[in-house]
Amino acid sequence: MKNRLKVLRAERDWTQASLANELEVSRQTVNAIETGKYDPSLPLAFKLARLFGQPIEDIFNDCEES
Amino acid sequence: MSEETGKPAWVSCEASGPRDRRNQRRMLGASLVWVLAFLGATLVIKKELLAAGPLLWGVAAIPGVLGVAVVLAYGRFLQETDELERLIQLQALALGFGGGLFAIYAYWMFQRLGAPALDLPGATVIMIGLYMLGVVLGRRRYR
Repeated sequence: MKNRLKVLRAERDWTQASLANELEVSRQTVNAIETGKYDPSLPLAFKLARLFGQPIEDIFNDCEES
Repeated sequence: MSEETGKPAWVSCEASGPRDRRNQRRMLGASLVWVLAFLGATLVIKKELLAAGPLLWGVAAIPGVLGVAVVLAYGRFLQETDELERLIQLQALALGFGGGLFAIYAYWMFQRLGAPALDLPGATVIMIGLYMLGVVLGRRRYR
C-alpha cells in the first residue's frame, strides 16, 4: 500500500520522531509505514488521518484504484 | 541505517518508549528470578540437600510457578508495545516455536542415524536462537 505520509510530514516540517511521539508509536513504525514496508492498523490509520486533517483514502492508496 | 539517528535500526532499541523499557525491565527481572530459582532448585535436587518428600516436590515446582510470571510479563510487553514491534515479536515467536519444533524433529531423524543426542537444553537453545534470529530479521526487514 502506498501512502503520502513522508510528504505530509515534510510539509509540516516534522521529524519521524516527533510524528511517532504524536501517534504514540515507535519511530521505526513511522519509518516502516513511510517506506511502504508496513501497513498500519486501522486505528493507527484513523489517528494519522485525524492528525493530518485528511481522509484516510487521501493518505493511503491501495494501488488497485484506476 | 535509521534516517535520523544514524544507528542500524535492527540492533538498536531507540524505538522503545518508557513504557516498553519498563516492561522490558519487568521481563528481565522475572527472567533473572526464574534462572536463579531454576539453578537453586537444580542444586537442591542434585546435591540432595532435602529429603525426598512434599517439600522437595515444592522446591521442584517453584521454577514452574515463577515461569508463569515471565510469561505474564512478556504478554504484557506484547500487549502494550507498539504495533510494529508486536508484529516483529509474533513473527519471531512463530520462527522460534514452529521453526524450532521442526528443526528438533529433523535432528531427531539424524539422531536415529547416529548423530549425538539432543537434550532438552540443546532443544531450548535452538528455539531461543531461532526466536532471536527472528527478532533480528524482523528489525532488519522493517528498518
